[in-house]
Amino acid sequence: METTNANLDCVEKYRKLVQQYIDLHVYDAALFWADKVVAITNTPRDIYWLAQCMYLKKQYHRAAFLLQSKNLDKNYLLCTYLTVKCYYDTNEYNEALNVINKCDMNAILNIKNECTPNIPENDFGLFDNVPKNQALAAFYLLKGKVLEGMDNRGLAADCYKQALYCDVYCFEAFDLLIKYQMLSASEEQDLLQSIPIAMQCTSEEAHVVKALYELRLKKYHTPQTQVIKNAPVIFITNKSDNSSHFIKSLPSTPNLQITPTSISTPMVAKNNERNLRKNQKLHMTKMQVDPLDNVNISKFQGSLDFHVAQSEILFYNCDYNKCINLTEEILKADPYHDGCLPLHISCLVELKQSNKLFLLAHTLVDLYPNLAISWFAVGCYYYINGKSDYARRYLAKATCLDRLFGPAWLAYGHSFAIENEHDQAMAAYFKASQLMKGCHLPLLYIGLECGLTNNIRLAEKFFKQAQSIAPDDPFIMHEKGVVCFQYQDFDAAEKHFRAALEKIRKIKQGPIQSTWAPLLNNLGHTCRKLKKYEESLEFHSQALLLQPQSASTFSAIAYVHVLMENYDEAVDWFHKALGLKRDDTFSTTMLNYVIEQWAEDKTPFSDCPEDIPKFTGLKTRNETTQNNVSGDTGSNMSLTNNETQEMSMDM
Amino acid sequence: MNDFKIDFKSMKYELLTAIHECSERGLLQSVKWLSELNFALSHVIIKADGEFKTLDDSPNETAAFLLAKSYFNIKEYDRCAHFLKNSHSPKSRFLYLYSRYLSIEKKKIDNMTDVNCPPNPTQNNNLKELCAELKSDFYDNKLDGYSIYLYGLVLKKLGLKTLAVDIFIKSVQEQPMLWGAWFELGKLISEKNKTCSNQLPDHWMKFFFMAHTNLEQLNNEEALQMYEELYSMGIQNCTYIMSQIALAYHNMRKLEDAIEMFKKILEFDPYRLDNLDIYSNLLYVLEKKTDLADLAHKVASIDKYRVETCCVIGNYYSLRSDHAKAVLYFKRALKLNPNFLSAWTLMGHEYMEMKNTNAAIQSYRYAIEVNSRDYRAWYGLGQTYEILKMPFYCLYYYKQAQQLKPNDSRMIIALGETYERLDRTENALKCYYKACTMGDIEGSALTKLAKLYDKLDEIENAAAVYIEYCLREEDRDDKIPEEQRDYYNALQYLANYYLKKGNLDDANTYAYKCMECEETKEQGKALLKAIAAKRIEQEDLDPEAEVA
Repeated sequence: METTNANLDCVEKYRKLVQQYIDLHVYDAALFWADKVVAITNTPRDIYWLAQCMYLKKQYHRAAFLLQSKNLDKNYLLCTYLTVKCYYDTNEYNEALNVINKCDMNAILNIKNECTPNIPENDFGLFDNVPKNQALAAFYLLKGKVLEGMDNRGLAADCYKQALYCDVYCFEAFDLLIKYQMLSASEEQDLLQSIPIAMQCTSEEAHVVKALYELRLKKYHTPQTQVIKNAPVIFITNKSDNSSHFIKSLPSTPNLQITPTSISTPMVAKNNERNLRKNQKLHMTKMQVDPLDNVNISKFQGSLDFHVAQSEILFYNCDYNKCINLTEEILKADPYHDGCLPLHISCLVELKQSNKLFLLAHTLVDLYPNLAISWFAVGCYYYINGKSDYARRYLAKATCLDRLFGPAWLAYGHSFAIENEHDQAMAAYFKASQLMKGCHLPLLYIGLECGLTNNIRLAEKFFKQAQSIAPDDPFIMHEKGVVCFQYQDFDAAEKHFRAALEKIRKIKQGPIQSTWAPLLNNLGHTCRKLKKYEESLEFHSQALLLQPQSASTFSAIAYVHVLMENYDEAVDWFHKALGLKRDDTFSTTMLNYVIEQWAEDKTPFSDCPEDIPKFTGLKTRNETTQNNVSGDTGSNMSLTNNETQEMSMDM
Repeated sequence: MNDFKIDFKSMKYELLTAIHECSERGLLQSVKWLSELNFALSHVIIKADGEFKTLDDSPNETAAFLLAKSYFNIKEYDRCAHFLKNSHSPKSRFLYLYSRYLSIEKKKIDNMTDVNCPPNPTQNNNLKELCAELKSDFYDNKLDGYSIYLYGLVLKKLGLKTLAVDIFIKSVQEQPMLWGAWFELGKLISEKNKTCSNQLPDHWMKFFFMAHTNLEQLNNEEALQMYEELYSMGIQNCTYIMSQIALAYHNMRKLEDAIEMFKKILEFDPYRLDNLDIYSNLLYVLEKKTDLADLAHKVASIDKYRVETCCVIGNYYSLRSDHAKAVLYFKRALKLNPNFLSAWTLMGHEYMEMKNTNAAIQSYRYAIEVNSRDYRAWYGLGQTYEILKMPFYCLYYYKQAQQLKPNDSRMIIALGETYERLDRTENALKCYYKACTMGDIEGSALTKLAKLYDKLDEIENAAAVYIEYCLREEDRDDKIPEEQRDYYNALQYLANYYLKKGNLDDANTYAYKCMECEETKEQGKALLKAIAAKRIEQEDLDPEAEVA
């Protein structure tokens, strides 16, 4: 009796030791004592903990063997979970799936799918009061990951959803569902509506959770459909110049998972808070960029995720300067915030700040050579420096490390696109579109490439598809307009362009971002084709305000003037265009033509008589001749004017 | 503007306040201008000197402002901007934006590799960024008068001139004492939108502005009149006004008066370099070599690295026909300030002398970019394209010059010559005609006109012109035989004309005159023979001749 008692005592003590050492990450000691406990008790619970220690020591096969040899992987949920996790971490997905399929729990689990789980805890083989729904959620999550690892993404998504249904707090499942752009915006909304938040939380908390999750949703959306009032209106960016655009995405590595409450240094947080407040109060009407209007979640303002969400909005609004300011703040507080990094890199690419990108890429590669984002940064660096070969090499590496990393695929496509390798670019975009089913960007880019290869019909098809995903994106409207323009259907083109412009004006009052200068120019071109010259000029001059000193705008304006037969102006604008771009053949040819027209057209000087004047002799004969003092082509061309007394500015 | 009156006391008070405000903000040129004016008013005495409290000083930003301002003063603009990044008071905000602007401009000049071209306008991204920022702030009504002025500056730099005009107008409405804004406005306003003057605030600064703008637009008479009014009102000893008057004289070709004025300025303020390049132009035109040499030495001893100095020295070398050296100095001037107009034009002339047409074209073009009202640059461009045998372009440029200087016969003759080259004889003729009626400086218009009349078979007119020409030539004292070819050709033409007409006496006179020159001697003899023959014929058929 005494020995059993003593045994029990020391078992308790050893169990405690194991826990403490695990908490302190002293795994060898934990393993040692866990082993001793198992020797005494040999209960499934202790064996589980022994396996746990092995797992933590990264001895995955050892742990799996232990659990399987004791047949625990069939009857106990946690043990099954751990076994699967071991195989998952060694990338042996088939083995992992085998374990899942063979486990006895499946029967119970399948039942549970249909009704709310009321099965007693013992049936799952849980220990230590692990909440059953969390355990189940984790199990489904893992199953989903295994399936995803086997490229079975449809089933994986189902598993994630189940995980979320079991436990609405299981953010990872939510994040995995949305972060790879698998779902379109409306599907995301549906998902959020369908998860049983209300059932699992108190009503107040339910709002908070919902609002927090909403922050993570896609942000290129019209303001009306957003649930949060005054909410983010975002658009994915740019195209016609083929400059790169990447959607935000997180690298999938377990050790970097972020939670909604990541740390931030107080100072920055305070600053940001102030900014946010300012935005809220001063620019309520103006900046629809503030996701924090919801009182429920305002207490989480210190969380960097909020700022990330905000900078995302800025990015999609093409406000790169403001965005980069914000991301820089965020990265100051948390230098490797993985939600912010892709955004930050994209901004650096947009602003072509190769120096900063160089430093960032180096640091990232040094610290996280296994993360796709690091190599993505390197690839982007080479991309903006125009070294497409290197860019491709590193972007390919990024896609190898994380096959689901969409931005890398897009950038890979861009690297081909800028070299006019349309087919290869399209291949990369296609790959991206497969990965990011909920994102219209790849489709848009494919359409663009089709348009560039004169395959207008196909381009139109892709734009249509893209629009079905993101119906309100002005970029798509713009591109559709371009296609119509190529078809010579100028009325339709004008319609599309105007729709895009209207959309942009709706998103943000105040000055339009300079990214949109091409749109205004295209409107100008279209109006010119439709012979609305005045309007055309108006649009071109607006474009000029957004993007000053652009040679092509200058020559477009000049061309309109030619058509309006304002040769004076035309010559002037062509001169300006050629001043910026001297070898522009269009402007040169046009100028040659126009200047001749102009000479035909014009009277030699302002008050020139119609007929040949009759010579009647000069009255002021004696005053006229006064010798000119300087040499005639001398430096100071002295243009002596003897008739000052008669001088009148008659012009 | 005639009922213009100034209350000197309030003017002085405003000046003092403005000087304080502008110097707080580092607007050095405006401060200079205001202070010059203030100095000219030193006879006016007002109380309460030096009590200028600025209202928008928020105490928690004062320290940062002072620090930043000190960096600004030693031209460390980036540093200045850094410390004001988060300031919100209008003054700090302005200094922040302004130092960023100056930093961008400074870097642009520093990065200029070749002086032959000003900073590349396509690499203006920083400026565009700043512009976008100012734009959104402007839209949000967050800019004060000074910052609006800065916005205008940036717009102007980016070539958005029409918008810049509106912005500057807004700026002077808010800050009528900001001379910089007036100044820029004067440079931008073209005659077309002179109407905007009723948008301008009714402030005594407007008077200065109007005078300045008149001068810019070559409305010299009016400008001069306005400045003289100011002068008579008691604002004397203001070097600014004096130099403006000198410029007006210069534009009106009253060269001696202009030189007189410059001498007066230099007497009063011997170290003033502003506008001395114009002075050197005057000396150049009058070929006052020694005076120019003296001026060159003087300015070089004052400050070697000023644009004006470089231009003076460049002119000096040019007068000595050392064109390569002249170009060197103009280049230096442009390195110091790529927006210095007259250096571009002068450099263009030098390149023309050196027969480097391409470089000349470039220089002229930049000159026009800096100020499209520079008729000398337009004319120069016309000349270069004439050399390049591109008559249509040439026509365009001459025309621009002619429009700017409608009463200058040289422009219109150049225009006529181009028309002639393009076989548009009628237009050419009209040009020459205009040149003749306007007072022909070079004296070639008459013969040219006559030739064209002849070409168009307007023989009567041609003869009339030749008669006019011959009369004028005979009046001239300084006859140089080699240059008399046109004259003898004219005589010959007239002889022929009268011969054909049967007016044998006149024909005889002109034919005799032809004998005076070697070249036309033979023709003269032939003509005389023909006349004699005709005379005999006429005597034979006397009655018919009477009828004819």
